[in-house]
Amino acid sequence: MQEAVLQLRNVTKVIGGRKIVDDLSFDVPAGEVFGFLGPNGAGKTTTIRMIVGLISMSKGEVFVKGISVRKQFEQAMTHIGAIVENPEMYKFLTGYQNLVHFARRHSGVSKQRIDEVVKLLGLQNRIHEKVKRYSLGMRQRLGVAQAILHKPSVLILDEPTNGLDPAGIRELRDYLSKLTKEDGIAVIVSSHLLSEMELMCDRVAIIQGGKLINVRSLQDGHDSMQSKVVIDVSNLPSAYQLLTDSFKDIEVSIIGNQLELKTDKARIPDITRVLVKADFDIYGIFASQQSLEEQFLEMTGGEMVV
Amino acid sequence: MSSLKHLIQNENMKIYRRPRTWLMIGFLVLALALMSGLMKWDEIRYGDDNWKQNMTQQTERLQKDLVDNKDTNPEYTNYLVDEIKLNEYYLANDINPHEQSLWDYVNNSAMLILLITILTVIVAADMIAAEFSWGTIKLLLVGPASRTKIMLSKYIATMGFALLLLIISFVVAFIAGAILQGFSGVSVPELSIGADGLIHESSKFITSLQKYGYSIVSLLMYVTMAFMISAAFRSSTMAIAFSLLFMLVGNSLTAIFSSYEWVKYLLFANIDLTQYLDGATPIRPDMTLGFSVMILAAYYLLFQLVSWILFTRRDVAA
Ligand SMILES: Nc1ncnc2c1ncn2[C@@H]1O[C@H](COP(=O)(O)OP(=O)(O)O)[C@@H](O)[C@H]1O
Ligand SMILES: [Mg+2]
Repeated sequence: MQEAVLQLRNVTKVIGGRKIVDDLSFDVPAGEVFGFLGPNGAGKTTTIRMIVGLISMSKGEVFVKGISVRKQFEQAMTHIGAIVENPEMYKFLTGYQNLVHFARRHSGVSKQRIDEVVKLLGLQNRIHEKVKRYSLGMRQRLGVAQAILHKPSVLILDEPTNGLDPAGIRELRDYLSKLTKEDGIAVIVSSHLLSEMELMCDRVAIIQGGKLINVRSLQDGHDSMQSKVVIDVSNLPSAYQLLTDSFKDIEVSIIGNQLELKTDKARIPDITRVLVKADFDIYGIFASQQSLEEQFLEMTGGEMVV
Repeated sequence: MSSLKHLIQNENMKIYRRPRTWLMIGFLVLALALMSGLMKWDEIRYGDDNWKQNMTQQTERLQKDLVDNKDTNPEYTNYLVDEIKLNEYYLANDINPHEQSLWDYVNNSAMLILLITILTVIVAADMIAAEFSWGTIKLLLVGPASRTKIMLSKYIATMGFALLLLIISFVVAFIAGAILQGFSGVSVPELSIGADGLIHESSKFITSLQKYGYSIVSLLMYVTMAFMISAAFRSSTMAIAFSLLFMLVGNSLTAIFSSYEWVKYLLFANIDLTQYLDGATPIRPDMTLGFSVMILAAYYLLFQLVSWILFTRRDVAA
């Protein structure tokens, strides 16, 4: 894995005694589209607001290229481009004037760079029109344009597919992959829609109730499946104890009257050997695979909106 | 990191690209033109070719008044004595005090600084609050500029707008005066009676500047107050409403409670520094110019500190 350009460490937000974001830690390396998946109210926007310094952290740190957002805000922000919720622009200005406005905050964004970004997002035909006449999709694109003007290392898009039609989502995915593969930037995309995440992301973090539940890779079909091994075995509690002690890297749990291990088929011989040696009776071993969707549904108790 | 200069450019762009701003400027110019026109009309209507005769009659009337009121009111008799002295000086030196010069137009335009204050308060009220209501605050703050810098750029841009209006008002009044009166009266002096009982001549240009200077004090205070309320409540309406309310009721409030000592610590009691000019009486006898300047400075710092804390320390969850 490459160097992580964005690091979250124990990020926590407490509002009115309630933990809205609870001890989040994860890394995003350069060149990756990282999905931030969770149902509405999971705390995605709140986390993003903390990353970009709009709200304070109750606890924890965020590092962008090793620079602390809390301690060196201005330096850290030179490496971030972001859209938080809807990209609201100055409606009485033209699209171009809006871009000039945001470009001026950074040092070294040339006129050519603005034109280049306008072209990249296909806005050249209407860039000199007032933003109040833009459609939602165009505003989204202008928002992305404003966020990448200064060639950030980290691009954060909060629910960028909101209000986009399928064609718009495909376009978004195309230029996001261009940005990550060609410019090597890390992109963080939040969404409550699993299907969209599967289209766009290399990895997803699933978050619910402010807690990080799981981080999974989606890079190829096999990896997107979480494997588990179910064992029907005698003397459940002591078998559970034995396996947790012998396989520190495998998560073991008792489901009904069976043992469930979060691992794949390759480990079955090892596991059986240990159980047989300790004189347990084995009635059956099944390997099964769970798709991200099943897992997401299970984790979020079926609240997911697809 | 953002440079302050570029941030101010951004704020200026957001002020002057709004049609509303040009409406305000147009309104100010219209008000100035109207005022100048009224002054000219007034002069023509009461124009007197035989002003010397009128003034002699007036002086006689004043003298009779003086004799009648000898023991009643020393303040009034002082006033009469001064007026008579001035009239005699005018007659002796062939100066018609009612002949308007272009400086009178500039001088009168200082009254419109109240309008300039209101217009700038409207702009100041929007500086922070509108970014919240437009939702643009999120993009504005997510950048390599600290909130302190962004606030400073907004404050400077607001003051720049006030300065622009002041210059427009001065220049437009000067031009209107020059068109309506010509340049003949440019060097006619302003006459006044000092504490020493003697007649002083002073430049009308300096008098105009002074008038502007005194009015700018209240402009500065009320605009800074509006800016603070805009940062505190994130609501333009509230910022405008409170600032205008204080502007309107401030004076009557101080007048009503002027018998209490604590009145002197109120912003409104100190905001009008002309109360320390010759011939004027301060709201309370124990107030001095130095005292008022200190109180104003304290309020100013308080407003700035409150805006700064509320803008830089609070979560932005809009
Ligand atoms: N300023 C706030 N005060 C109180 N509760 C808040 C505040 N902001 C967000 N919340 C709550 O925190 C939870 C997470 O919100 P949010 O981060 O917007 O979720 P998401 O973006 O994942 O839909 C929600 O239950 C929301 O009601
Ligand atoms: Mg959200």
